[in-house]
Amino acid sequence: MKLRDLLQLSSVLALFTLSHASSIPNQEYSEHLYLKPLANDHLHADFNFTATTPVADYDAQHFRYFPRSLAQILQYTHTTELHLRFALGRWDEEQWGSRPRNGRREGGTGVELWAWIEGQSEEADERWSDLVNSLSGLFCASLNFVDSTKTIRPVLSFEPEGTHPSGSGGSQLLHGMLPHEVVCTENLTPFLKMLPCKGKAGISSLLDGHKLFDASWQSMAVDVRPVCPSTNSRKDECVLEIQQTVSMALSIPRSMRDRHNPIPRPPPIEEIECDDSKVWNGHDTCYPKPSTGDLGWSLAKVFGRPIKGACPLGDADGAGDISLDVPLERTVEAQGSASSETEPSGLRKFSLQAATDFDVVLPRQDTVSSSSSTHPPLYASRQMTGYGQERGGMHATLRNPHPYPQKIVYLESLPWYLKPYMHTLEIQHGNIEKMFYTPALDRVRGTHLELVIEIPADSTVELNYDFEKAILRYTEYPPDANRGFDVAPAVIRVLPRNVSDPADGNNQDEYLRTTSLLLPLPTPDFSMPYNVIILTSTVIALGFGSIFNMLIRKFVLLEEVPASPLKTKVTMLKEKIAALLGKTSKKGSDTKPSEEPGPAAVIDPNAALNGSTDGSALTNGSAKLRNVKG
Amino acid sequence: MAEPLQGTVIDKDATPASEKADAVSVAPPESPGSVWTRRIIILAFWAVVATLGLPHWIWTTSIYRAELPAEQMTRWSEGHACDLKYPIHVALETGSLPLDQLKAIAEKTENTLNLDNGQSLFSFQISALDDHHNATHERALTASMQQQSTSKAPSANLLSMTPTLELTHGPMDSIGTDNLVAFLVNELQQIFKDEQASITYLLRHSPFHAASKGFNLGTEATKAIEKRTTRAFKYSSTYHVTFSLFAASASPSAWDIEEALRQYIKPLLRQLSTVSDFQIDTQVQLFASFSPSIAGPQYDEATNSYKLLQSDLSGFINAAEWPLSPSIGSGPTLNMVLYIPGPGQTPLLLETGGNSWTIPQWGGVQILNPSEKQAGRLTTSDLEPVMLTFADQLISLLGVPNSPPSLAMRIASLKRERATSLILSASSTLGALNRLTRKLESIAIPPSVATSVDETISHLEQACSNLREGRYQLAFENARTAEAEAEKAFFEPSMVGQVYFPDEHKVAVYVPLLGPMAVPMIMSALKELKSFRQAKVKTS
Repeated sequence: MKLRDLLQLSSVLALFTLSHASSIPNQEYSEHLYLKPLANDHLHADFNFTATTPVADYDAQHFRYFPRSLAQILQYTHTTELHLRFALGRWDEEQWGSRPRNGRREGGTGVELWAWIEGQSEEADERWSDLVNSLSGLFCASLNFVDSTKTIRPVLSFEPEGTHPSGSGGSQLLHGMLPHEVVCTENLTPFLKMLPCKGKAGISSLLDGHKLFDASWQSMAVDVRPVCPSTNSRKDECVLEIQQTVSMALSIPRSMRDRHNPIPRPPPIEEIECDDSKVWNGHDTCYPKPSTGDLGWSLAKVFGRPIKGACPLGDADGAGDISLDVPLERTVEAQGSASSETEPSGLRKFSLQAATDFDVVLPRQDTVSSSSSTHPPLYASRQMTGYGQERGGMHATLRNPHPYPQKIVYLESLPWYLKPYMHTLEIQHGNIEKMFYTPALDRVRGTHLELVIEIPADSTVELNYDFEKAILRYTEYPPDANRGFDVAPAVIRVLPRNVSDPADGNNQDEYLRTTSLLLPLPTPDFSMPYNVIILTSTVIALGFGSIFNMLIRKFVLLEEVPASPLKTKVTMLKEKIAALLGKTSKKGSDTKPSEEPGPAAVIDPNAALNGSTDGSALTNGSAKLRNVKG
Repeated sequence: MAEPLQGTVIDKDATPASEKADAVSVAPPESPGSVWTRRIIILAFWAVVATLGLPHWIWTTSIYRAELPAEQMTRWSEGHACDLKYPIHVALETGSLPLDQLKAIAEKTENTLNLDNGQSLFSFQISALDDHHNATHERALTASMQQQSTSKAPSANLLSMTPTLELTHGPMDSIGTDNLVAFLVNELQQIFKDEQASITYLLRHSPFHAASKGFNLGTEATKAIEKRTTRAFKYSSTYHVTFSLFAASASPSAWDIEEALRQYIKPLLRQLSTVSDFQIDTQVQLFASFSPSIAGPQYDEATNSYKLLQSDLSGFINAAEWPLSPSIGSGPTLNMVLYIPGPGQTPLLLETGGNSWTIPQWGGVQILNPSEKQAGRLTTSDLEPVMLTFADQLISLLGVPNSPPSLAMRIASLKRERATSLILSASSTLGALNRLTRKLESIAIPPSVATSVDETISHLEQACSNLREGRYQLAFENARTAEAEAEKAFFEPSMVGQVYFPDEHKVAVYVPLLGPMAVPMIMSALKELKSFRQAKVKTS
């Protein structure tokens, strides 16, 4: 009790000139789920969670919806804007059309990270290293392997999404990729922990590692950016926004499989519709009809569970927590929805109700819905060419399907052990307008290559260059060296066209990434060091031994060679045994007891006289033997 | 039957041994010149090994071992380097008594206090405060004496925010100097008794225990101190304090934490800022579920409430799901958790009563059962009792002693305790480092370790002398630096990360490489040595 009094007293005594800054109610949280069936029985689900915090609260470390763990990392490393991506699989552009969110919320296979960090180059490098190490711990990913060899500073490919105060020109953009990283459940758990509703309510309750990482394509993104009313507004007017995005393309039949019996088996014969037009159709032969129409599915079946009510933090009135992009004629049954709304285009919007399970059921429908997939801005692919362990080539194909020319930024971040020959860089059917190139330094930094390319209308541009493969040091090889080394995907930014076409709505720049590549490097035999030791030893033994012996040996005639002590001993032993054997046989044939073999004492004087060496002792020994026999 | 021997072998420099050597051909004896040539060759090879090979091998395989002041390190680790003494400066001030009388009282009090326990840790230095007193030492306590005309028995009152003892007494003629001195002695002893006990406890099992022999520590006191010290965090120059609001459901999702902290927590931390720095952060976490390892609240019909079992308190924090990761940066994190039970589990009480508990060296937990109007947002007034409990928990987690009643003196006492324990810790780290470097011959000692050790020792010496002079703030700061340097030396990464180069590896590399060379060289050397000795024996 005394302490309490003291504290109150002191708090009264303490003078505060600062008036109580009322917490501005711009701490907001909203979440949204966008669903769209894709061609080839796939479903695109896009989860978006946005939380904001005033910069004043952020600086004072008072966190409400903004995750404390991430915020402290950003503060510690002076990171003003962060983009982190975890991606897996491939988005099938040919069938599914353009990429979700114009590719702005996805990364290359594995982990990709870019951030604007305050500070001069050395300082920024140090903070970047702190950042990747801390994020590595937070997201249970091997981000700590993003070292200087995997870090580049792109010039044209990325632009800040947030509003940065105009005065602070000290921010630096750093970018790193880990194509080898396998994204899995352990990355999703911390991701969910950062959400205010933690996957226990709201649309995040659908997120489950089993389904998410079973998808044909998935991408998790964390984006932190400052948002200000204008570029020259005061710092306390700004808010910091965190957007967490999960985007995926699920195969509907695959994800609706029985969870306890996941092995694909043919369905029972009764459930198969047979094609009667086939001649071999009979009571025991069935030719299944190809499935037509739209597959029936529901949220609970695809994701394994329904949505567990609303996350009651967002603005309750905003109808449209969930939007479902299906044609107007598609039947949709919603369960547990607070309100629903259908737009003329067929887009359905639902809002969630607290503590009520929500599900959307789309029954099987035979009318084929016209899938209106839009053309992506560009098709890009990249391959490695050549053979052998010394050299290779890179070949990228960029196809513009549109009837207008496009300008792109092509970014390559190559590991140092892949050494491009820049003089071989050539482009066909297009032209390079600008080029940024930072050559690699062995074990210090990788190659950074940025090209601004103009691609003519309806044409394909081919980009080629040759490279050399470096030989690594023995310890630099990973345990699975023969698998090859991952080369990060190329990032392609399609610049917005100058002539903005209102019908296209294509004003924002779009991103796409090629697949990552596997680079086979010359791999040594890893038992080599021991082989070297053995070989060296043999050579030394042969060379040194023979020369040394030649120098110190005395050369004599063969018959002059003194017997080695060992040999004489062995001979002596042999003779003793022979003598013993002979004696016993003699005993057996001749029963007459012979005299005592006295001469054992005979030789002694000789031995005592000059028995100084083994040789002479031997002579005596043989003499003795002869004496015995005699 | 054995065949007769074809030929007998004769040693090259032995004379024919038997008459039966007729069939044996003997190599001609060597000329002394060729014998000497051979010897020189062998000698030359050995010379190359000894002058080139061996130094080269030593040079390439040796590791840098900086010179450490082993003797000084041992002295510190064995407690001979510093004789810990704690002089306590007390100033008497008065408005009513003449200076002479005050000085007399001071002298008498000092004599009595230091007579009682002459060899104890604490020695009192009582001085009368005059206008031109020297401010070289820190004053532990100011006794402000006020004469009153009516009061008979003297009484004392310790101020909470400043180290001041307000003493009121009757007129000097009625009370008498001796009585006043006795009263003062008693008061001072009472005030410093607990601190003396805890420092004695600290030193008891350390190499510095010689200094604490004079004080007898009772079992009761030991237990109390043990309880307090095991609860407290290890000292650090920076602490992170995380205030977390965990709600079992979606509300309340907001609290006026900034204002509440400003009113109830920051004044306390400002007082403690001479000891450590504090960095505060707060967070709100919703949908916090209990960990599956605990039984969970049990419904109690008698009180119409939910009871949390005593056994569940240690596992109450759901470490797997609650984001309570330590803050970034050096220093430990103190977690202050406020838990709001869900609507289905209110009111939630503890089985033993109360609504808060401390988790030693981790933080404090409190349960708040919200009323209807608190459902959405916790206001500052809602948070007042919560924050006061947090303040109490914070104090006990930081190891601030429970007595005397003055907060200022408790913090001063904490400073002395921390300085002592830092000196002890730095000394024992020095000892450990010394033992480690002596035991592991193959460990490298980079020069930075030597510098750190030198720094440690110089700061320890300064801390020791500051302590003996009664400058506790300086002593504390020096001890803090010494401890940090000692830890830096001990945990030097290039020393800790010793390359794993096992002996088997050495055998596998050296034997095949050196064996084929060493064997002929050694054999020839031995043989030649033998023949040389024989020749010598023969000639002599």
